[in-house]
Amino acid sequence: MSMNVIEATGLGKRYGSTWALRECTLAIPAGHVAALVGPNGAGKTTLLNLAVGLAEPSAGGVTVLGGLPPGSPAALDGIAFVAQDTPVYKNLSAADMLHLTRNLNRRFDQRYAEARLAELGIPLNRKAGKLSGGQQAQLALTLALARRPRLLVLDEPVAMLDPVARHDFMATVLAAAAAEKGEGELGGVSVVLSSHVLTELERVADYLILLSQGRVQVAGEVDDLLASHRMLTGPAAEADKYAERPVVHVRRGEAQAHLLVRATADDPVPPGWEAHPVGLEELTLAYLREPGAAALPGPGRGRHTQPSEVTQ
Amino acid sequence: MDIDKGIGKGRVGVSPAGAGGGDRSTAPSGRATAASPIEFRLDAASGVPTYLQLVHQVEHALRLGYLKLGDQLPKVRDVVASLAINPNTVLKAYKELETKGLTAGRPGQGTFIQATLSQVALPELTALRRSLLGWLGTADGAGLDEDGMVALFTSALRDFYERRSGSRTRGGAASGETEGVA
Amino acid sequence: MTALTMPARPKHDAGLRPVPWRRMAWVTWRQHRAALGGVAALLGALAVYLWLTGLQIHHSYATACHPASSIACTINFTGRYATSVNVVRVFLQAVPALIGAFAGAPLLARELETGTFRFAWTQGIGRWRWTLAKLVLLAVVVAAAAGAFSVLFSWYLRPFFAAGYAIPFATDVFDLREVAFAAWTLAAFAIGALAGMLIRRVVPAIAATLTAYAGLALATALYLRQHYMTPLLTSKLNLPGSAWIVSQWYTKGGKFALPARGSQIVNALQHFCSSSRLSPAQCLSQHGYTWWARYQPGSRFWPFQWIEGGWLLALSVLLIAATVWLVRRRAA
Repeated sequence: MSMNVIEATGLGKRYGSTWALRECTLAIPAGHVAALVGPNGAGKTTLLNLAVGLAEPSAGGVTVLGGLPPGSPAALDGIAFVAQDTPVYKNLSAADMLHLTRNLNRRFDQRYAEARLAELGIPLNRKAGKLSGGQQAQLALTLALARRPRLLVLDEPVAMLDPVARHDFMATVLAAAAAEKGEGELGGVSVVLSSHVLTELERVADYLILLSQGRVQVAGEVDDLLASHRMLTGPAAEADKYAERPVVHVRRGEAQAHLLVRATADDPVPPGWEAHPVGLEELTLAYLREPGAAALPGPGRGRHTQPSEVTQ
Repeated sequence: MDIDKGIGKGRVGVSPAGAGGGDRSTAPSGRATAASPIEFRLDAASGVPTYLQLVHQVEHALRLGYLKLGDQLPKVRDVVASLAINPNTVLKAYKELETKGLTAGRPGQGTFIQATLSQVALPELTALRRSLLGWLGTADGAGLDEDGMVALFTSALRDFYERRSGSRTRGGAASGETEGVA
Repeated sequence: MTALTMPARPKHDAGLRPVPWRRMAWVTWRQHRAALGGVAALLGALAVYLWLTGLQIHHSYATACHPASSIACTINFTGRYATSVNVVRVFLQAVPALIGAFAGAPLLARELETGTFRFAWTQGIGRWRWTLAKLVLLAVVVAAAAGAFSVLFSWYLRPFFAAGYAIPFATDVFDLREVAFAAWTLAAFAIGALAGMLIRRVVPAIAATLTAYAGLALATALYLRQHYMTPLLTSKLNLPGSAWIVSQWYTKGGKFALPARGSQIVNALQHFCSSSRLSPAQCLSQHGYTWWARYQPGSRFWPFQWIEGGWLLALSVLLIAATVWLVRRRAA
C-alpha cells in the first residue's frame, strides 16, 4: 500500500477566535502505527476529529485513505474511530453493542468480536457501564476492529487505563496492525493514535507526528528521525561555536553541554566531542521545548531556526 | 530451565517455552499458542534498540541450543501481541537475522532457522554442563546461595572477557553490540 | 496475553452500497425502547382508565338520557361524570407535550451530552441517515400511538356530545381528537428533536420543548384556530348548539353598542334584564339590540381537524428536516 491514510494541506481549525490547529501539513503513509504526540491543548483531538469527519476545517483541507473526503461513506466505511474516554452506550450490554455496530456498518466480523470478548473475559450480557475502564476500552476497540477498517484512529486510548490494561490494549492494536501479508510486508490495519504520554512510544510507533501549539513540529518515520539526529556532548564553552549541523536544542551545565543536532552517524564529530544516538522520548522532549524548531519531511518544509538555550 | 535471573542491566535472556507443551502461565486461555521453542522478552530500560534485543535473543538461543536447525521463530503477530511492540520492529529483526544468514523466511509459513551458531559440539556441551553442575555443587557446599553463585559467575565472566579482549565499549555507535558485557 | 483471534482481512469492495435503511429499525428500537415503553405505558394506562370509565359512562347515558335533556339525565349522567371528564380533558392536554419532550428531546441531546455521538456518527451508515431514520421511525410510531389513543378518547366523549354537555369545537377538546391529537404529538416530538440538537443537553432541551409546545398550543387555541376558514356572520338567535361562537357583540340602530363581555353588557343586563327569564341575547333583542355573532358551524369540525393536522404535519416535517440539516452540517 503506498497511499497516505491521512493527508492534510494547510489544515486549520478555529473555535471562536482561537485556532486549535493551523497550517497543518502532513502525509501519514499507510502500513504504519503513527503516534500523534503533543502536550494537552496542542490540537491532537482537533486533528483527529477533522480526519474522521466529526469537524469541518476552517482553513485548508484533509483527505483520508488516499484522497477520500472525511465523513464520506467510503471514508466512514474504511475508518474506525475510538474517541477519548472510549464512549460506549452505558446501558447497552456488550452483546447489544455488537448487534448495534453490526447494523450500523457494511462489514462486521461477528465471530471475531465474540471470540475476542470471550478471550478477554468480557461477559456479553453485562451492561457496558458496569464494565471496568480497561474492559470498556477493549470493548470499544473490539467493535472498531471487527469492522475490519483500513485505518484505526485512537484518541488518547490509554489515558485512563492501568498499566496492565494499557499493555493489553496496545498489544491488541499492534496485533491488528501485524496482519500477515507475506514476509516483509504489512497488510494489516494502519493505526493513528494520539497520546501525551511519551514513554513506551518508541516500542509502539514507527511514525511520529509532534504537534505543539496547534502546529506540526515533527513528522516522519521514527527510524529516519532517530537516524538523522545525534546528541553531541562536549565542552560548554564551545557549544555556541558549533555550526556544522543545525542544532535543535541545547542543554548546558557549567562545564558540559549537550547539543541535539540534526546529523547522521556519518557526519564528523568535532574533536573533543562525543556523539550518541538519541532515543525517541529524548528527541520528542527536546522538540517540545523548542517550539520554533521543526523537522518535517521533504525539502523546503523544515525550518532551521536558532534554538533558545536552556540552563540546567 | 532459566539461567538468567535478571543478570544485570543490558543482559537479555530467553526463557524456553517449557518442555511440557508450550503453555505459559501468562496465557489466560491456557491453550498452546506458539509452535516456536522460544519466547521473546523485552528489557525496556536497557537502552538497546528493541529489534536488536530480539536479534540477540535468537543468537543466544541458538548458542545455548534452545533453537535448532529448522525450528520456527515466533510468528510476528504473536510477538507483537505478547510484547506490545510495533510489528515493523519484529520484521526488522527478522530481516537482520536473514541478512546474517541465520534464518530464512518461507512465504505463508513463517521464519525458520537455517544455520546454527553453536560452535560447541553436543558431547562437549554435555561435558561442560556436567562440570558446571559439579562446580555448583561445590559452591553450594561452601555455603553460597543462588544469588551469590550468580554474582560470582557474572563477575568472573566479566573478568574473563576483559582480560581476553580489553574494554569493548565503542562510543555510542547506534548498531554497536553490547552483548557479553553487563 | 494472547491475541491470536484476528479479524479476517478486509476484501476489496468494488462498489460502495450504502448501509440499508432497514438496519436502523433494530438500532432505533434498542436504543429508545425505554422511551417507547414510557409512551406505551402512559397511553396504555390512560387508555385503560378511559375504557373502564367509558363503559360506565356509555351505560349510564343509555339508561338515563332519553331524552337527553331530561332531569334524570342531568342527575345520573351529566352531574355524575362532569368532573371526571373535565379533569381528563385538561390532563390530556399535557400528553403530547410529555411525549414530545421525553421521547423527542433526549434523542440527540443525550448523544451530544454523553459524547456517544463520536461513536454513532463515525459508523458506516453516516450521521444524517442515522438521524433521519431514527426521527422518522419514532415520529411515525409516536404519532400512530397517539392517533389510536385518541380514537378511544373520541368514543369516551360521545355521550357528552350527545347530551349537549360539550361540543366538538370546544378548545380543550378539539386538539384531543383523532387527527389533531396525532398531529400535536408529532409536532411536539419534532420540536423536541430540534431542541435537543440545538441545546445539546437533555434537561434544558426538555424544558425548552415543553415551553415551546405550550406557547404554540396556546397560540393556536386562542388565536389561530378560529381563522382556518372565515367565520360565518349571523344575527339569528337560534344557532345550533354545535356551533362554535368565535366572537359576539350587540348593535343598536346599525352601530356597535355592546361587546359580549365586560362591564358595559353587565350594566345593560342589569338595567334591562334583571327580572327576565330569557337568555341575554333574547332579552336584549327585545330592547332594540341586535345580537351578532361570528361562528364556525359544527359541520366544519372535520375540515378544521384536517387543516390543523395539515399545518402541524408540515411544521413537523420542516422541523425534522431542519434537525437533519443541522446534524449534517454542524461539526462536533
